Amino acid sequence: MVNVFAVQVFFIVFRECLEAAIIVSVLLSFLKQSMGQPHQDQAIYKRLVRQVWAGALIGILFCLIIGGAIIGVFYSLGHDVWSNAEKLWEGIFFLIATVIITIMGMAMLRINKTKEQWRVKIAKAMVEKSKNKKKSKLLGDWARRYAMFLLPFVTTMREGLETVVFVGGVSLGYPATAFPLPVFTGIVTGLTCGYLIYRGGNAMSIQLFLIASTCVLYLIAAGMFSKGIWDLQYYQFQMGVGSDVAEAGSGPGSYNILQTVWHVNCCNAETDNGWDVFNAILGWENTGTYGSIISYNVYWIFIMLCVAYMLWEERSGKHSLRERILVVLAQVPGLGWYAKPKLEVLQQESDGVVRVVPTGLFNEEQAEQQMVEMK
Amino acid sequence: MAVSYLYYVLLLALNVPLLLAKEVVYDFNVTWVTANPDGLADRKVVGINGQWPLPVIEVDKGDQLVVKMYNGLGDKSTSIHFHGMYQNGTNEMDGASMATQCPVPPGSSITYNFTVNQNGTYWYHCHTDYCYPDGYRQALIVHDNNSYFADQYEEEFTVTLSDWYHDLAEDIKPEFMSLYNPSGAEPIPNSWLFNDTINTSLSVKPNTTYLLRLANIAAFTAQYFYIEDHTLTIVEIDGVYTEPTPADILYVAVAQRYSVLFTTKSTADKNYPIVTVVDSTLLDTITPDLQLNSTNWLEYDASAPHLQANITVSESDSLVPFDDGTLVPHDHEPLLETPDLSINVAVIMDNLDNGKGYAFLNNISYTTPKVPTLYTVMSAGALATDATVYGDFTHTKVLGHNDVVEIILNNQDSGSHPFHLHGHVFQVVDRYPPMGADFYEYADATDAIAFDPSNHTAFPAYPPRRDTIVVPPMGYVVLRFRADNPGVWLFHCHIDWHLMQGLAMTFVEAPLLMQDRLTIPQDHFAACEAAGVADKGNAAANTEDYLDLRGQNVQPGWIPDGFTTRGIVSMVFTVLSAFLGMGAIVLYGLSDLKFAGRGDTAQVAVEPAAARDETRGEYQD
Repeated sequence: MVNVFAVQVFFIVFRECLEAAIIVSVLLSFLKQSMGQPHQDQAIYKRLVRQVWAGALIGILFCLIIGGAIIGVFYSLGHDVWSNAEKLWEGIFFLIATVIITIMGMAMLRINKTKEQWRVKIAKAMVEKSKNKKKSKLLGDWARRYAMFLLPFVTTMREGLETVVFVGGVSLGYPATAFPLPVFTGIVTGLTCGYLIYRGGNAMSIQLFLIASTCVLYLIAAGMFSKGIWDLQYYQFQMGVGSDVAEAGSGPGSYNILQTVWHVNCCNAETDNGWDVFNAILGWENTGTYGSIISYNVYWIFIMLCVAYMLWEERSGKHSLRERILVVLAQVPGLGWYAKPKLEVLQQESDGVVRVVPTGLFNEEQAEQQMVEMK
Repeated sequence: MAVSYLYYVLLLALNVPLLLAKEVVYDFNVTWVTANPDGLADRKVVGINGQWPLPVIEVDKGDQLVVKMYNGLGDKSTSIHFHGMYQNGTNEMDGASMATQCPVPPGSSITYNFTVNQNGTYWYHCHTDYCYPDGYRQALIVHDNNSYFADQYEEEFTVTLSDWYHDLAEDIKPEFMSLYNPSGAEPIPNSWLFNDTINTSLSVKPNTTYLLRLANIAAFTAQYFYIEDHTLTIVEIDGVYTEPTPADILYVAVAQRYSVLFTTKSTADKNYPIVTVVDSTLLDTITPDLQLNSTNWLEYDASAPHLQANITVSESDSLVPFDDGTLVPHDHEPLLETPDLSINVAVIMDNLDNGKGYAFLNNISYTTPKVPTLYTVMSAGALATDATVYGDFTHTKVLGHNDVVEIILNNQDSGSHPFHLHGHVFQVVDRYPPMGADFYEYADATDAIAFDPSNHTAFPAYPPRRDTIVVPPMGYVVLRFRADNPGVWLFHCHIDWHLMQGLAMTFVEAPLLMQDRLTIPQDHFAACEAAGVADKGNAAANTEDYLDLRGQNVQPGWIPDGFTTRGIVSMVFTVLSAFLGMGAIVLYGLSDLKFAGRGDTAQVAVEPAAARDETRGEYQD
C-alpha cells in the first residue's frame, strides 16, 4: 500500500494546497466584496481577478520548475550518496520535517484567524503602496499595479516549494511509485477544502474536517519524530553490526536488545504488508526502543503544552510568543531585516489597518459618488 | 643350564613389559613468546620453554606420560587437555578447566601424570576459556610398533593443520561476543598454517611408503586435504585403527586426526603439491586477501620447481571428500545394540537478552559452574548421582557404569559442527546427510532434518569410532558409546568460538565409582586455592545443601517474545498521550470558531480624501 500511497506526502500536499487555496480565496472574496458589487466597474474587478489567478498559476508553474530541479538534484546526486546511510538521513529528515510540521500545523486550525490576518496583510500592503510612493518609483508603481498578481504568485510559489522540500524530506524510503497518487489526491482535497471555505459553507463542519486532518497530521508528525529517533538509533546499531543486520529479518539480531522496550518478531514495517501503512501514519516499528517511545510521548506532551500556552495567550490577550521572539530577534544585529517587518504586521491593530485602507477598495459606491461630485 | 635358561625366560617375561613401559617426562614452562609463522605479522603466542612451535609430545603405547606445567604467562590462567586420551582411572588429568580441574593461575604449577594405554595420533591443547587459538596446541603421537600396518611403511610424518589469528583471543572475544555481532559470525582467521608454517615441503624418496599423521589443531576451520596424483590409504582415525581404505580427498575438521599411508612415485623428477583448502562455508565473510588454498609439497627433488597447485573448484564445497562414516574399525567392534540411555539434543544458535549470540544444546548454553564438576562429584557423597547438584547450566547427564549411551545430535544450525567427546571414542552409527557431495544439501533449508528413530537407514554392523565427528548443517548424527570410563567428560563443539558461546554439555559417568577410585593430587587443589576457586560443593559452591543452587552461574535471560509488562505499560502511555494530544488539538481547533465570520463583515471607515484620490487614479488607467 505504501508503495503506491505515501500517507505523509498526501497530508503535506493537502496542507500546503489548503493554505495556498485559502490565501487565494481570501484575495478573491476581498476583491468581490470591495469591487465586485454589481454597481461597480466590472472591468476593473475582472482584471484584478484575472491577476489573482494568473499570479497563483504562474506561482505554481515556477514552483514546479524549481521544485523539479530540486527533486532532480536530490535523486540524481543525493539518493545514491545517501542510500549508504539511509537510516541516518531518514532520521535527520524526519526530525526536520517534524519540526516544520509542528510549527505550521497549528495554523491550519486558525483558518478563520488566518483569513483575518490575511485581510490585514493585504490591507497593509495597500497602505504601504500608497505611502511609499516616493521610494523607488518604478518598482513601487509596478508592484502596486500588480499587487493582486504578486501576492498569490509569491504565496503559491512559497507553499509549493515548501511542499517539495517536505515531500523530498520524507521520501527517502519510498519508491517513486508512491508519489503520484498522494500528490494528486492531496491537491484535489486541499483545493476542494479551500473552495468550500471560499464559498463560506458551514464553518462548523469545515472546522471539524480541519480538526480531524490536523489530528492526523500531528499523529504523523509524532510518528515521524519517534521514527526519526528510532532511525538514528538503528543507524548507530547498524554501523556497529555491519551488513548482517538486514539478514536477521525480524528476529533477534535485527534490533538492539539493550534499547528495546518491546519487540515482536513480526509486523516488520520494512518487510510486512499492511504494517508499512501503520508505520507511515503512526511511526510504527516492530521494536519499541526507549528512545522512540519516550520521544513519542514527549512530543505529545509538548503539543499539549503548546496548545495550553496558545489558548492562554489568546484568552489573556498577552503578547504572543511569536511576537516576543520577534522582539528579541529585532534587537539582534543582522536579524532586524527579518524580524522588524513581521513585528510591524503583528503589532498593527488589525481593525486600525483595515481602517487605513483606502475606502475606495471597500466602498466603491462612495467613491463613485465623490467622483460624480467632482464632475 | 636348564634352570638358568628358564630363569632367563622368566626374567624376560616379567621385565620386558616393565622395560617397555617407560616414563616420559616433559617440563613445560609456559610463557609468552613472539612468533610470525605466516610471515604477515608478529604476534604474541603461548610458548613452551621459550619456544614456539610447541614440542610434539611423543610416547610409545603403554608409557607413563608426565607433564609438569608451570604457568609463566603472568596474565592468564591455563591448563592442558590431552585430546583423545581416555584417561581411564585418571579423570583428574583430563585438563578441562571447571570440569575436571581448576584453571591454573599465573605462577602456579600442575602435574599431569597418566598411562597412555592407546595408540595413534592425538594432540594437546589448552582447555581454559579460549586460550588455544593463541598457539597453545600441538600434536601428541603415540607410537605403536605392533600396529597392523607397522611394517608397511618406512617413515612417518606428522602434519598439523591450523588456522591462525593475528590477534589474541582475548582481544577477539569482545568483538565476537558482542551486541554488534548478533548473528554470532565467527572471527575470520588471518591465515592458515601447515605444521605451524607455510610453503613447506615433506622430503620423500621414490618408491617408498610413508605414514602421514594428519591432525587439524585449528580453532575454527576444517580443511580439505589431498596430495596431487597420490592416493591416501586411511589406516587410523582419532586413534582407532581402521581397515585400510583408499581415499582421494580428506575432510579434516577441527580436532580430527587421520593416519594415511601413501606410496611415492617411482620417478623423482617432480614435486607434488600437498593441497589444503579451507572449508569456506564456515566463513561469514571472505576478504580478497585471505589465502584459502595452500600448497605445500611432497618433495622428491629439492632442486625441481615447487609449483602452486592448480585448484579447479571455485567453492570448497564442490570438493567431494571421503565419507568417514563408511570406515570399518580394524578390530571390528560390533554395533552397540539397545542403548540404556538415549540423549536427544539439538544444536541451536540464538541471542540472549544481552544481545549477544549464544549456542545451545536444547535450551542450555553451557555456563561454567563455580566448582569444577569433578570436585562436586568428589564432595557430594550420595547426591553425586543427582544431576541437580551440577547446576542448571552445565547441562549434566549422569550415566550409569557400563551403560550403552546414545547421543542423537540434531543440528538446527546452518553451519557444521565438529563435536568432541572427552574420554571416549563413540561409534558413529548414523549421519545425515553423509559426508560427501550432499553434505551441505540442507544448509539453506528452513527446517532441519531430525533423526527419526523409527525410520532411518540401517546402522552399520561395525560402525567407525572416533572422538570428533562433524554434524552436517541442518542434519544429524547418532553416536553410541559404552560408559566404561568413570569420570566427568565434556561433550562439546570443538570450534573454540562455539565453545565460548556455550555449545557443550557434561557427562558424569559412574560418579560413585569415581568417589571410590579417584584421588585428586594435592597440586590440583593448590591451583584452586591460588585461583580462588572453590574445590568443594555443588555448582553454586554450596557445601551445606547440595540441592540449593542459589548463586550458581546462570546464562543470560531469554529474549521475551512480544510484549512484556513494560512493553504494555509503555504502549498504554503512548496511546494515552496520543489521544490526549489530539484532544488538545480538537480543543484548540474548536476555539477558532470564535474568529469565524468576523472577517467577512467589512470594516468600513471614513477615509481621508487624499488617499481616496490616489486610489481612484490607480485603477483608472
